[in-house]
Amino acid sequence: MVKHLTRKLVSGMALAALVGIAAAPLEASAATLHMAWAQDATGLDPHKQTAFSSLRLLELVYEPLVRVDASLKIVPAIADSWQFSADGKELSFKLNPKAKFQNGAAVTSADVKASFERILDEKTGAAARANFLSIASIDTPDPASVVFHLSQPDVPLLTAMSDVNAAIVPASEIAAGSIGTKAIGSGPFKLDKWDPNAKEVLSANKDWAGGATGVDGIEISVLPDETAILAAMRTKQIDFALLNDPLVATLVPKEASLQLNRVPVLAYHVLQLNPSRKPMTELKVRQAISCAIDRQEVLDTASLGEGKVTGPLTIPSMATDPGQLFCYKRDVEKAKKLMAEAGFADGFSATVIGANGEPPTAAAEAQVIQSQLAEIGVKLDIKMMELNVYVDAWLKGDFDMAVALNGGRADPYTMYNRYWTKAGNLQKVANYIDDTLDSQMQKGRAETDPEKRKAIFAEFEKHIAEVSPWIWLYTSYSYTAQQKNVAGFVPTPTGTLFSLSKVTIQQ
Amino acid sequence: MTYLLRRLAVFPLVLIGVSIVVFVAIRMVPGDAITAMLGTEAGLLTPQQRAALAAYFGIDQPWFVQYGRWLLGLLHGDLGISTTYGRPVLDVILERFPLTLELALLSMLIALVVGVPAGVFAATRNEKLSDLGVRIAAMIGQSTPNFVLALLIIYTLSAGFGVLPAMGEFAPLWQDPLRNLGQLILPAITLGFAFAASVTRISRSAMLDVLSDDYVRTARSKGASARSVIWRHALPNALIPVVTLSGIEFGYLLGGAVIVEQIYALPGLGRLVLDAILQRDYALVQGCVLFIAFNFMIVNLLVDLAYAALDPRIRLGEN
Amino acid sequence: MRILKAIFAHTSGRIGGFIVGLYLLLAMLGLFGLTPHNPLTQYRVDRLHAPSAAYWMGTDLFGRDVASRLMTGIGQSFTVAFFSVAFATLAGTVLGLAAAWFGRRWDGLLMRIMDVLLAFPAILLALLIVAVAGPGTWTSVLAIGIVYTPIFTRVVRGPALSLKAREFVDAARTFGSSSGYILTRHLLLNLVAPLTVQVTLALAWALLTEAGLSFLGLGTQPPAASLGLMLSDSRNLMETAPWLMIFPGIAIMISILGFNLLGDALRDILDPKMRRAIA
Repeated sequence: MVKHLTRKLVSGMALAALVGIAAAPLEASAATLHMAWAQDATGLDPHKQTAFSSLRLLELVYEPLVRVDASLKIVPAIADSWQFSADGKELSFKLNPKAKFQNGAAVTSADVKASFERILDEKTGAAARANFLSIASIDTPDPASVVFHLSQPDVPLLTAMSDVNAAIVPASEIAAGSIGTKAIGSGPFKLDKWDPNAKEVLSANKDWAGGATGVDGIEISVLPDETAILAAMRTKQIDFALLNDPLVATLVPKEASLQLNRVPVLAYHVLQLNPSRKPMTELKVRQAISCAIDRQEVLDTASLGEGKVTGPLTIPSMATDPGQLFCYKRDVEKAKKLMAEAGFADGFSATVIGANGEPPTAAAEAQVIQSQLAEIGVKLDIKMMELNVYVDAWLKGDFDMAVALNGGRADPYTMYNRYWTKAGNLQKVANYIDDTLDSQMQKGRAETDPEKRKAIFAEFEKHIAEVSPWIWLYTSYSYTAQQKNVAGFVPTPTGTLFSLSKVTIQQ
Repeated sequence: MTYLLRRLAVFPLVLIGVSIVVFVAIRMVPGDAITAMLGTEAGLLTPQQRAALAAYFGIDQPWFVQYGRWLLGLLHGDLGISTTYGRPVLDVILERFPLTLELALLSMLIALVVGVPAGVFAATRNEKLSDLGVRIAAMIGQSTPNFVLALLIIYTLSAGFGVLPAMGEFAPLWQDPLRNLGQLILPAITLGFAFAASVTRISRSAMLDVLSDDYVRTARSKGASARSVIWRHALPNALIPVVTLSGIEFGYLLGGAVIVEQIYALPGLGRLVLDAILQRDYALVQGCVLFIAFNFMIVNLLVDLAYAALDPRIRLGEN
Repeated sequence: MRILKAIFAHTSGRIGGFIVGLYLLLAMLGLFGLTPHNPLTQYRVDRLHAPSAAYWMGTDLFGRDVASRLMTGIGQSFTVAFFSVAFATLAGTVLGLAAAWFGRRWDGLLMRIMDVLLAFPAILLALLIVAVAGPGTWTSVLAIGIVYTPIFTRVVRGPALSLKAREFVDAARTFGSSSGYILTRHLLLNLVAPLTVQVTLALAWALLTEAGLSFLGLGTQPPAASLGLMLSDSRNLMETAPWLMIFPGIAIMISILGFNLLGDALRDILDPKMRRAIA
């Protein structure tokens, strides 16, 4: 009977296998790219969405004025050219005459003006609004020209405009109030269908100003378990996938037919201390924690070494050698000395919070840090929370320490002004500011000379590593996996999938 | 009849209880639709922006006002609009329900086809080695967490044999029956595994009970063949507990199989409600839980009725 | 004592009893730190080490000894299972007796509340409770306990009702015993059999539910180990380090097997007629 029972199961599986094989050819249409990711977009309004998957989807449908390329250089998108005035208080754009929305209408300066006015309107609830507050007024001398008048010089503004959160949407759709329910952009793909948490269907936009796309369409499936994504790639059901967990990504190269693309990203893994809570109020305690942590070991254990130890500046053109920063070489003796000087020779207890699966390495990072800090007498209690619960606590600054993966931007000012300026929106999260940090940020914002900017931010980095409100750990990779017959994908540090517009599938 | 009416009369009470619990609990969980949408970027919002978004998501009023509004809608058959889907909650649920129903039916089918014969067989071999084998197999089935089984199945098939039923886009039964079956068979086996084990155990013990009953002994003494005793006389009576167990288990499965749906990427009720919780789509959570609770109660009522129909000794309405 | 003897005389009771006993022993050893290695020590040079003489069941991502973690993990899982079932039994018994004893409105109200809890999908109810209260050992206990309370309430209420109707309770009442005395003496004694059986089965379920909660990241918090958390952590390492899934997987299966065997034996011993009633 046991035999009988197993036979039933085996024949059931065989049936499944047969049906599986039978079903596969139906899917194989050469011109459609089958893609998978574990987390789906959360909405269609490009001005409101900030989730990673939402941005990746919307970048294929909407276009901003400019884009950043793989080396983070600003390149044309809807705008053909742009120029800052001599005093840095005027930014003008010439639009691409061929740019067209997917409803057939040309993209005009009126659409640009309406889009930015929508972002700046508080009723919209656009989180990116904070990046555009220097815009005083917008002029549209002719349908193909836009001039932004700024209240103060704002060099990072251009980088902020390259984000899909600053996408140009049709003025007519804004008036109709249909942004977010219909996705009408000027990008390479049209969104034909969106079934949240299940799938997206995209088709090529024949009128795209950027030329013809390499595939006729993209079908995105949401497969919540990354092991299942890998399994589906092995059986050739999926051509292209986004992976988050290094534990899964590192298995991809072991498959002969699969290729793993990885690129260092701007986002950084960090241990945020809360300097408003005792004893992290003490400079020496924070420094001791920084000295007691072996960043390379956190990276090696939690991410299987997939990444690079980093200082606060993760942008390649700005980054300095992290080995030069304060205590980037582990020094337990120094840490113990600092603890004793601060009056905590016996250590203390604190709680560290983390979000489940966000990033997938969060729990592992917390555990390695816990064991490292135990050596200087700091007893950490780990609390892993559901993402939303974590975000709530994080925003309220309701934590002693937090492991986080914070997003990066192509410009250090845009990336950090929210935390490390006196008026920063997230000062209540960072809970630390001093005059040096604030003045360096303000100088960096106004400086137009790239070399001088770099020097300013290098000073900023050196100072913040020394006062250690946060312990920057490492940057990891963004992973995409693909079948080897998929050609033309260019991974970029921002994580954008925009180059899918030129990807082809070879037979 | 009065029994049926009395049971049905309780339904609205229980459903209101369920809805209040969900309503309050989901709002007590930290984080809301705004943080779910914006993540940490929500910290960049000005108070005015926040207020505008709260009004958009319908979470700008105290919970009892929201509840009153929701209850009023419910009386008109309106479960509200899902903020993630931008569509009426009931539409979204009804779109996902066929899959959950099909998966539950398929799992039950597997459980009964495997479990009942195995249980009967074991009962006839009471305390022999083969009986022990079946019982141990059944217990292993009952004690395997389904996510372990699901991961093992996927890994073995894809890495070992290079096959896997189509993941991703789900094909409804009426559109593409073959593909549909291919997608559901593994999840159904995963869920049916433990289910079959319970059915095996219950049919075995029920069969043993019945075989020791007077009328079976009478039938035997009258010279009925062993085969006819088992299949004609004993089995129908032994089936009563099997029906009860299957019904209750089926009722649970109709609530969606959160973890299995997650691993096999099936857009069923379980994942719908989990995603709704994670995205703080309050209307959808309420709608789903209410829908699941309603189904559960209906199935239980049917089970009780079937129980009474199968066993004339039982009179409903007493406790 | 008599019951221990009876269990010992019963085949599946013997096996089940042995398994449960063995687990309790392992859990105790884990609790008192008598493990091959410290379960929390990270031997970083030996990360993801396959089973060997030094590490009988290999090491995990952090280089922690899996065998030692398994021992403390069993302790953790059993703690959650025992306390949650104890909670459910206690709450269920009190509520069930109250419903049966006070009858009418109270009965109706209590049983409707239980209906509300029952109508909730179990994992969702647990998920909501954990989400509200924050994850941790005691939240898991509370969540699983509340989920199983209605089942115990029903198990107790049924027999309590029929016992209450029987004359001997009436008789005792006429002799002037206090109602508290009647409750404990007559009702509880008659409830021992169905409760014991239900408890062993619920322990098995509780172990599985704890595993499910941990799989969703809502159960035991790291770096502590529980069988469910170990399994859940192993899922993306299944191919790289299969021992991380195999050993906790087998451990959880055998433990549940043990409780189920013991439950079956108790059912046979305590009340042969129960077989039908339980079904």
